[in-house]
Amino acid sequence: MVSSGSESSLPEEFRFLCMLHNIGATTPEHSFSIEEIAKWTSLETSVIRVHLRRLIEMGYVESTKVNETDKYHLTHSGIRKVLSLYS
Amino acid sequence: MKVCMLTWEYPPRIVGGIARHCEGLAKALAKLGVDVDVVTLDFPGAPEYEEIDGVKVYRVRPEIGHPNFLTWVMLFNHFLEKKIAGTAERENYDLIHIHDWLVAPSGVAVKHFLKKPLIATIHSTENGRSGLHTPDSYTIDSWEWWTTYEASKVIVTSNSMKHEVCGHFHLPWEKVEMVPNGIEIEKFNIPVDRVAVRGRYGVSPNEKLILYVGRLVPQKGVEYLIQAVPMIASRYPNAKFIIVGEGWLRDYLESLAQSTGQRWRITFTGFVPDHEAIALMKSADALVIPSVYEPFGIVALEGMTAGVPVIASQVGGLAEIIEHDKTGVFIYPRNPESLAWGVDHVLSNPGHAEWLVKNAHEKVKEMFSWNVIAERTVEIYKSVLGE
Repeated sequence: MVSSGSESSLPEEFRFLCMLHNIGATTPEHSFSIEEIAKWTSLETSVIRVHLRRLIEMGYVESTKVNETDKYHLTHSGIRKVLSLYS
Repeated sequence: MKVCMLTWEYPPRIVGGIARHCEGLAKALAKLGVDVDVVTLDFPGAPEYEEIDGVKVYRVRPEIGHPNFLTWVMLFNHFLEKKIAGTAERENYDLIHIHDWLVAPSGVAVKHFLKKPLIATIHSTENGRSGLHTPDSYTIDSWEWWTTYEASKVIVTSNSMKHEVCGHFHLPWEKVEMVPNGIEIEKFNIPVDRVAVRGRYGVSPNEKLILYVGRLVPQKGVEYLIQAVPMIASRYPNAKFIIVGEGWLRDYLESLAQSTGQRWRITFTGFVPDHEAIALMKSADALVIPSVYEPFGIVALEGMTAGVPVIASQVGGLAEIIEHDKTGVFIYPRNPESLAWGVDHVLSNPGHAEWLVKNAHEKVKEMFSWNVIAERTVEIYKSVLGE
């Protein structure tokens, strides 16, 4: 396994997926907007958009609309993907 | 006897073997009359509290997160600890049993505030999983050592892990007890329509189905199976391969599969629920476990119970579960040629494969039923409690 310690060797979008998981974006009720994700992760919103697009394509992230704002959270598959790194 | 069991994964939050281990052990302990509370992390859709087969399960949602992994671990441990502070008001726990370092911060704290003994099961070590290369890995290694130091008894699931843990953490031999993983044999007693199961994955009855089940992470050695595909296919042009499981290495493995020129033979299913994994095992011609590091290897027990010939690397716990050419077939780790040989050894001799399966099934029933393992665990609990 790649444990926690090797997180840095992960592809960028998976490191981002881990961050999204670790800040708690794991259900629609606990989803985050791009701006909120940027504050938590210190990443540029343009970078976040690229990662999210790719992760949505792979089925690891879903978006929901909350008050006209797109918010993002991990799918079950996304959660398992992250946990496979750590267990 | 009242036990508070702490684990970061418990069904339906299933990642690796820990969730299944904790579920099997907790249910078997409950059958023996042990009162077990499981405190674990939440999973979307799972209730905050439920009682299943006599086991009370409390699921905790960490209300605060942090992008950094170790910070996140410390935060969720705070919420686990808070939950136990609540349950401990109602339940007079006799001891705390934790599984792996991820819940050690809360487990050690609870030990001290309840003044109750701590038992720690170490399922694997950071050093064994990926080596110590980064500040985080040194912190995890230190937490693992601290866990073994704070615990009254350390449980491991194989003799190879006992050597690893005693050697790496300098523990006295008698502090560490070996209790293997178990298996719920009844779960495998389900009728399976092999033709229908194979059909769902595009495998016809006359094709050879070679199966992998496990996480897609480097220690599982799935790349060696993929590298062996062309060799196996040259001998068995009707061979198909199904790779069940999820993990961060999946993209790499899929591109490796592409590079073999045999991608059409290989199906990646992602995560499948337990009943589907069992159905696949009961429908396969061979189960391959190409691990390079495997403290136990619960999937070997699953394959042996399901009645599929098991071909496994001779490493760690696998080397203790399987007897070569009696209950399975050993191959060299990190060696696609050896893996291809193992598959051929099974596929080329159906009568021998049937004999292996029969022996394997008998061994599982004798040695790895949860009831036997729970009884041994209760003995350890009693020794710690001075009973």
